[in-house]
Amino acid sequence: MNEQNPVPPQIPPRIPPAATPSCAQQLGDDPAERAAITNVVAAIDSILRHPRRVMFQLRQPDAGKLIAMMLIVSVVCSLIYGVVVGTFSSGPQLWIAPAKIALGLMISALICLPSLYIFTCLSGSQARLVEVCGLLAGLLMLMTILLIGFAPVAWIFSQSTDSLAWMGTLHLIFWFIATIFGLRFLETGFSHSNARSHAGFHTWVVIFLLVAVQMTTALRPIIGTADTFLPKEKQFFVSHWGDCLKASADKSNPETRPNGR
Amino acid sequence: MHAQPEPLKPHPGEIATLLRGETETISAWSECWSSQRLALHIAVIVLGAGLYGAAMGWWRDPHQALYVAIKFPLIILLTTLGNALINGMLAPLLGLNIPFRQSFSAIVMSFTIAAAILGAFSPLIAFMVWNAPDLASKSLFGPAYNFILLTHVLVIALAGFTGNARLFQLLARLGGGKAVAFRVLCAWLAGNLFLGSQLSWILRPFIGSPSLPVEFLRQAAFHGNFFEAVFHSLRQIFNN
Repeated sequence: MNEQNPVPPQIPPRIPPAATPSCAQQLGDDPAERAAITNVVAAIDSILRHPRRVMFQLRQPDAGKLIAMMLIVSVVCSLIYGVVVGTFSSGPQLWIAPAKIALGLMISALICLPSLYIFTCLSGSQARLVEVCGLLAGLLMLMTILLIGFAPVAWIFSQSTDSLAWMGTLHLIFWFIATIFGLRFLETGFSHSNARSHAGFHTWVVIFLLVAVQMTTALRPIIGTADTFLPKEKQFFVSHWGDCLKASADKSNPETRPNGR
Repeated sequence: MHAQPEPLKPHPGEIATLLRGETETISAWSECWSSQRLALHIAVIVLGAGLYGAAMGWWRDPHQALYVAIKFPLIILLTTLGNALINGMLAPLLGLNIPFRQSFSAIVMSFTIAAAILGAFSPLIAFMVWNAPDLASKSLFGPAYNFILLTHVLVIALAGFTGNARLFQLLARLGGGKAVAFRVLCAWLAGNLFLGSQLSWILRPFIGSPSLPVEFLRQAAFHGNFFEAVFHSLRQIFNN
């Protein structure tokens, strides 16, 4: 009875637990994520450093306040960045550019919100409409905060170049970088909502990017000047960009700035 | 009661610690904000880059030396300030969760290292310029001009590379990984090069042209930008 079994029992080797990726953890597992976001500074800090805290708070019953706060920050930041954009042409563009940028951003988000919710549902996600709205507001806030970060660089270039095409390209690059980070936030939030597939989300990303760039053409001119607030003729953004680049290449004379600089 | 750690008092000798890349000490500095330390680092930047700038501009004219001594540190400081916000935002977004002040002080420290190296090379550059033929009387495209230009490129590249190598080590320590440190460094480097190039373009001339007057800024300082100029130059090359 006391004999020992020479063959050890077949126990599968224990695999040391790998470092758990943050997206595999449930939102709210970390007590820090459960701390309420009560003010604008906390909202900005959280979206930059602890985005999971924002995602967790968006699932709480009083998420409306946070969403409103994020939208207000987005509007204020886009207005500030708009002023920087307007300094290229100065004059009336100092108020036209901020108005158009803030308006364009909000309209783009509003246009794309229903499709985002539909794609979210089709992907099997359990996210509620409020949460989707919150994630979209988070995208806008992160985007516009990053644009504020780029603002000093944009301002230096707007003061030292005459080329409309160059400034347009520069702002588009900054916008694109900011959007990548914003979309990354949105995708992380999306992945926490039990979505089976990301295909729908990726389709929506393409739609959102197309809407946003078309908005820059629909609300043109944002950087340059015009007689009317909105354009007289409708144009697709590809043909508008083509026209801008052609006009820029044709202008061998660099003295094209409206303020004569 | 816990004993309070002794505050790390900044002193000029700590520049050697920066140059040696003692990351443990440097990361402790970056964690506790000290205005005195920041002032010391800015002083090193002003002095080091200023001396190098003076040596660079001296070939053209003593006035040019003074102007470049002001402009060289100005580029570094304006680049640091201009990109401070976006650099502070990009660090946590790319996986390095450090406060804004820490990212700012890390960048200032890397520029301090670069400026200290530039300052150390400034006597050598001054000696080289002293031995070079007078810029005002010689051809711009002679061998002396090319040699001096190449030396500047090498010295500035060495200073920049060393500053960034030390910054990478610091970021790796702060973030606990080389991959994160590399991502953050690349993002910061891209931003700093982008803005730094344009600021250098605005604040030109540095060496100065014998055919143009000595001046702090060119008449067309705010006309055009560095990248447009590169683009037009490339277009001319390919059209010819």
